[in-house]
Amino acid sequence: MIASLRAEALKSRKRWANWILFGILLLTLLVFGYVLTYVILKNPPRNFESPVPASVLKRQVFPENLLPNVLSSISTIGAAIMIILGSLSTASEYGWLTVQTILIQKPGRVAVLCGKLLNLAIITLLVGIVALASAALTSYLLVSIDGGSSSFPPATTLFKGFGALWLQLAVWTAFGMFLGIAFRSTAAAIGGGLTYLFVGEALIARLFRDTPGVKEILKFLPGVNGSAVNATFGLTFRSPNTNAPLVDATRGSITLLVYLLLFTLLALLIFQRRDVGGS
Amino acid sequence: MLAVNDLNLVVKTGEVYGFLGPNGAGKTTTLRLLSGLLHPTAGSATVAGAAPGTSASLARLGAMVETPAFYPYLSGRDNLRVMARYSSASKSRIEPVLKQVDLADRARHKFRTYSTGMKQRLGVAAALLKDPALLILDEPTSGLDPQGTVEMRALIGDIRREGRTVLLSSHLLNEVELTCDRVGVIAKGKLVAEGTVDELRARSGGTALLVRATPLDRAQRLLESFLGADHVRVTEGVLALTVDPSQAAAINRRMVADGIDVSELRVSEQSLEAVFLQLTETPNPDASPQGERKAL
Repeated sequence: MIASLRAEALKSRKRWANWILFGILLLTLLVFGYVLTYVILKNPPRNFESPVPASVLKRQVFPENLLPNVLSSISTIGAAIMIILGSLSTASEYGWLTVQTILIQKPGRVAVLCGKLLNLAIITLLVGIVALASAALTSYLLVSIDGGSSSFPPATTLFKGFGALWLQLAVWTAFGMFLGIAFRSTAAAIGGGLTYLFVGEALIARLFRDTPGVKEILKFLPGVNGSAVNATFGLTFRSPNTNAPLVDATRGSITLLVYLLLFTLLALLIFQRRDVGGS
Repeated sequence: MLAVNDLNLVVKTGEVYGFLGPNGAGKTTTLRLLSGLLHPTAGSATVAGAAPGTSASLARLGAMVETPAFYPYLSGRDNLRVMARYSSASKSRIEPVLKQVDLADRARHKFRTYSTGMKQRLGVAAALLKDPALLILDEPTSGLDPQGTVEMRALIGDIRREGRTVLLSSHLLNEVELTCDRVGVIAKGKLVAEGTVDELRARSGGTALLVRATPLDRAQRLLESFLGADHVRVTEGVLALTVDPSQAAAINRRMVADGIDVSELRVSEQSLEAVFLQLTETPNPDASPQGERKAL
């Protein structure tokens, strides 16, 4: 498995698509989540209307709100990026037929996929660390520019927040990886994953949030459970747009862990048993 | 769909075994089974002393099945580095195999920029990384120009001289004839013949004497009385005699003594193509049943 992990690490490092995805994630987080938000709220337009004054709202980009701000960005654009990353890591192997070149080498199917899983776990860990660190730095710079004062959450809260961040990144990556193996097509895996994320999770969950019956189903969706985990790291001011989570954070965390395990096991099962044909 | 059925073949250590068959006969499916990429619904195989797809088997097996498949965004050298890591092969093997397949100069270029011939050679290089005892090459000259074909043939010759066992699949008869010690012919998923190229020829009619003589009808009557009607056939104005070629001089003397003009008398060996078509029952109106090899 270590041999496979080393091979996967080399491939990931040399693949430009991975760096571009990472760049998009960071850029979106820092530009939209921090810089633009601060610029707009610092000098709000005349027609700006909000029950919470802009001077209070702008505090979301300050260090005290590091975790809710990062987690909120990660649950949307971050999820999409990680689905793409996971899909690319497995589906491309079928598209290029490299899966058979790999399997003819020595490691065995379980070792190959475990190497891939471990590599993706490390990537998500690094993505989480860099995203959180760069967001922390940006928030520190913004509060310095603003001339106000704000402090980072305590280390234990930061640690828990990072755990929540990594768990969600890992679930969406595993989802993409599973789709890549199931569909054996990059386009189908990415298309399917993003459709689920933006239509299944975002749209339907928002529209039918209070519909009896549907509400019970929503409680089992990974995105809804991720939001429940994120809710434990709330903003330091009361935001009028915040909905109460459908489940509590503990249930949310457990559900996410179950999804992580489920996607991993399903991917392993399919990869282990399915024949590798050609074009 | 049954792709391969009741197939039983043995490749001996150190030989180059040609696995011959028309497109769709089951060659690549067989090679995938032997490489552990497919799981058979029934039956078993032993590859380099172990079950296909197991670490013990794959450790001694190098293979290029169907097409050389690599990462387009990586250079040839990096692709080999990746494969070396997967197989736990020493990275010190990378440069020698690149040199062996004559890719050292282009090793730093991306795989996607490679020509078909270079891709095939990189496939062979990857197969050689583990220093395998057994090499499976599926259509290694597929898509190559004549120069590339000659180079690939030379490369296979080098590999054979290193003492490796090679299982070479192809539908190109000339390639198999020039490269392989023994041949197995597969058709519709079944092995229909196996042996050396000469054995297969002999089994399918072997050699013949071709005689061009005037007058033809008199020559035919004479030879039928001399050799028996079963051994004489007329095809497009030429007498084809299924007899031992050592009788050529005697036949010539007899015809000349009988006042028949003999303008041509030569040995014809049945081409592998004809043997192949006969064995696989593929009708080919363009193919002559006898292919000439050497004039007497």
